[in-house]
Amino acid sequence: MSARAHGAEAISHRSPLKTVAGYTGMVLVLLVIAVPLFWIVITSLKERQDIYVRPAQWFPQPATTANYSDVTTRIPFLDYMRNSIVITGVLSMSKIVLGVLSAYALSLLRFPGRGIVFLVVIAALMVPNQITVISNYALVAQLGWRNTFQGIIIPLAGVAFGTFLMRNQFLNLPTEIIEAARLDGAGPLKLLWRVVLPMSWPTLVAFSLITVVNEWNEYLWPFLMSDDERTAPLPVGLTLLQNNDGVTNWGPVMAGTVLAMLPVLVLFLVLQRQMIKGLTAGAVKS
Amino acid sequence: MQPTSLDTGAAQGERTGPPAPVGPPPRRSSGRAWEWSLAALLLAPNLVLLVVFTYRPLVDNIRLSFTDWNISAPVANPVGVANYVEWFGRADTRTVLGNTLIFTVATVGISMALGLGLAMLLDQRLRGRNLVRSAVFAPFVISGAAIGVAFQFVFDPSFGLVRDLLARIGVESPDFYQRSGWALFMVTFTYIWKNLGYTFVIYLAALQGRRADLDEAAEIDGASPWAHFRRVLLPQLRPTTFFLSITVLLSSVQVFDIINVMTRGGPVGNGTTTLVYQVYQETFVNQRAGYGATVATVMFLLLLIVTIVQVRVMDRGQRA
Amino acid sequence: MNQLTRRGFLGLAGTAGAAGLTACAGTGSPGTGGGGSGSSNTIEFWSNHPGNSKTVEQQIITAFQKENPDLTVKLVDAGKNYEEVAQKFNAALAGGQQPDVIVVSDVTWFNFALNKQLTPLDELLASAGVDTGDYVDALYNDYTFDDGHFALPYSRSTPLFYYNKDLWQKAGLEDRGPKDWDEFKEWSEALKGAVGSDRFALELADGSNYLDWYFQNMAWGYGGAYSQEWTPTFSDPGTVKAGRFLQDLAKSGVVKFNATPEADFSAGLAACILQSTGSLGGISKDATFEVGTAFLPGTDNCPTGGAGVAVPASISDERKANAVKFAEFLTNAQNTVTFTQATGYMPVRKSAVELPEEVSYLEENPNAKTAIDQLPHTRSQDNARVLLPGGGARIGKALDQVAQGQDVAAVFAALDAESQQVFDNQIKSKL
Repeated sequence: MSARAHGAEAISHRSPLKTVAGYTGMVLVLLVIAVPLFWIVITSLKERQDIYVRPAQWFPQPATTANYSDVTTRIPFLDYMRNSIVITGVLSMSKIVLGVLSAYALSLLRFPGRGIVFLVVIAALMVPNQITVISNYALVAQLGWRNTFQGIIIPLAGVAFGTFLMRNQFLNLPTEIIEAARLDGAGPLKLLWRVVLPMSWPTLVAFSLITVVNEWNEYLWPFLMSDDERTAPLPVGLTLLQNNDGVTNWGPVMAGTVLAMLPVLVLFLVLQRQMIKGLTAGAVKS
Repeated sequence: MQPTSLDTGAAQGERTGPPAPVGPPPRRSSGRAWEWSLAALLLAPNLVLLVVFTYRPLVDNIRLSFTDWNISAPVANPVGVANYVEWFGRADTRTVLGNTLIFTVATVGISMALGLGLAMLLDQRLRGRNLVRSAVFAPFVISGAAIGVAFQFVFDPSFGLVRDLLARIGVESPDFYQRSGWALFMVTFTYIWKNLGYTFVIYLAALQGRRADLDEAAEIDGASPWAHFRRVLLPQLRPTTFFLSITVLLSSVQVFDIINVMTRGGPVGNGTTTLVYQVYQETFVNQRAGYGATVATVMFLLLLIVTIVQVRVMDRGQRA
Repeated sequence: MNQLTRRGFLGLAGTAGAAGLTACAGTGSPGTGGGGSGSSNTIEFWSNHPGNSKTVEQQIITAFQKENPDLTVKLVDAGKNYEEVAQKFNAALAGGQQPDVIVVSDVTWFNFALNKQLTPLDELLASAGVDTGDYVDALYNDYTFDDGHFALPYSRSTPLFYYNKDLWQKAGLEDRGPKDWDEFKEWSEALKGAVGSDRFALELADGSNYLDWYFQNMAWGYGGAYSQEWTPTFSDPGTVKAGRFLQDLAKSGVVKFNATPEADFSAGLAACILQSTGSLGGISKDATFEVGTAFLPGTDNCPTGGAGVAVPASISDERKANAVKFAEFLTNAQNTVTFTQATGYMPVRKSAVELPEEVSYLEENPNAKTAIDQLPHTRSQDNARVLLPGGGARIGKALDQVAQGQDVAAVFAALDAESQQVFDNQIKSKL
């Protein structure tokens, strides 16, 4: 079972100095990352007059949850949340499946032009969406898909990033294990499902997480495609809280930001355990 | 790009010939055909999507870069390479390229180094590491636009967090919004702060998936931590580093939301304007979609060249 | 002429590699713009809800549907600002169904009109029997091009001079705004003393935040302008003088440039600011002192701003007629009062100020009255800012340079050359 726990986990005889350095590092990181986050959260709890004051208020006095109720009452927050979940859910699922299948073909199957196809896939990462939107809008609008979920989802469903990430992962699996499985007569699907994926679990989880985050925050395309709360996701809907030609009350905007990030953060908390579990499962197989 | 490198680690599929779901067990030659068609089947949906929704617009874009298209006009007149000539001759090209270069090099270098450092730190068995892991990832979860808005409260010259902290030690805060250098620093810092979670998670996944036997061998050898890092850890992380160097570069070159919300490319017009922001500005603000398409095409070509160089360098390293 | 049409160059006819899918998409809709489709008794209104006005817009729509039971208005969230609405409309021009009524700002309408994507409204208004004489002249005439009007004023604003009455008193100044910028200069020492160190007598938005809009007032005040018709006049002695004046204010520490001057003002960190009338509501809520408002310094040199509503050119005549009916309803005396009281914009109809609810509103809100009293003293903006593509950003950049101490004459001469070039390349042939 020694192969199961990897090196760092196994080190139990770490020097005290290293431990102290480790904790110091953690505290520093926590400060740099957490202070601006803390700022977002307390701003969301401040009353309007307390946001722009000098010296700055580090603790809202008095604290108020009015901004949160403002977010949920002034705009159809739950509708946007539902749309975000639908769009992110469907897109992430299809991207994960397409990404894994493409990566499998590009790493474990042999066919002519494989290098070129791979280049075609990653070169898609070099095309900024500012230049694709007008052309895609023309196409999708003519299909009559404006203000529909398929109109938002399908044009975003191609996977370049995930294919790249998973291909990289698959290529680095120990050749002996894959060979052994093949000699045992495992077909390609069985090989993928039983051998390749279990060994790639942490990377797959990372891929899923990053995909969810990216789709959750997608702005430009859903904005152009959607007309109202029937299809618009949160990033588009939350802009309604800003006053676009006058003074914005930042409290509700910050509250909206906090509410929008919570679901994905919770997902990360759940999945990061999976990353570790996945590792264990994969190692046991070997 | 050399096909050999892309096959690294690939299994020798045709030797065993995986059984087809239907029909008789394949022979050697039909096994290969079978493998080809499976690959085509697996790749087809993704490739179709990419071709229709990424490459078709890219081709449109390249065609438009040779026209004078106004974004609202029903027609576009061909102008040959005039837009390209203009791009090479214009004074702001240099500023924009410089901004893009500084921003990209800083974000790629710093976020990868910090991401690896943090992943190594939080891969250790330390109390409370789950909390810190979540904290590092948390900013990555927030949208760029929201981060841009929130960081106004960090860098605001009158009310910001930075001002407040500096005032406590008696230092005057620089005006991050009015000075080009500081403004570029501000958007770079904000971008790294937001995206650190990405390099961190990828490195963490790689660290957790690495082969424990090598670590143990090194430990038995009694290698110093630095030697262990250089000779055991870094080589193992090489594919991850390669992957990150490409993806971080490609995404940071395309930074848009943070700049749009925080500075709109200013101060003094293009203090924080990068290539993608210029594409947006020219296309939608100046309405010169033809010229915007030219900038986008140049950018695509530059990125393609840089990526191919990266792949080559990686190859050489692998073979050495 | 070897022109590419939109349909051609957007690849809808099918490009190699994706021929199958795109070719069938290309035949999906008749007519090049695709604007002809769409139900004729549904009016799609694309708005960014200026001034957080979604609720009041919906309220006006309900009233409209009550009066016109056969018509339905669909309110679309078309962006978080005017630029995004323009972006979305540009996308719609590429294909698919077009809106019926769309919000266009002082800087976005012209390019659409120039490229024949907006309908001239004059005939439509005449046949609908609308008395256009009731629109405030300066606001209505902002949308004139080629002898036609291309929008109706909707969410219109002007800059206002906001001042902190407490600080004014402390500085021993009369409770009013400065007559002109020279008087402000005289006051500035007293104001600096009153506001205290690390704070500023005046704050202005920077070049990325529409300083180019406010500075027009200063340029006009010193006898200059950004342009006369299409000829850029940044090198005019008056404009240069105004630039030097701004630079001197900056050098002597009177003015600070800021992305959000209204926040500093509300917190008492700036004695006065120039800001849009649209900010009045927010500033009144945020400020902990008594806020005063006044005309911009100088006489008859306040620029107009804000947005109007326009009708796309390529929709059917029937849809156009309905669209104009709605646009007129949206901006009639009653509704402009409803809308502006909810948002802080200015009534766009002359008769609006005589309505009883407006009279009593203005009595209770003297600061809102300042803006309306200033209306007759407004002036339409110079072409170099609002009609030349990218004009605002270009001028904003130059003003940032001036603020940071670069030579005014040189910066403005370069601006002249650039503006002229943009006109020659992008506008001239289309006039």
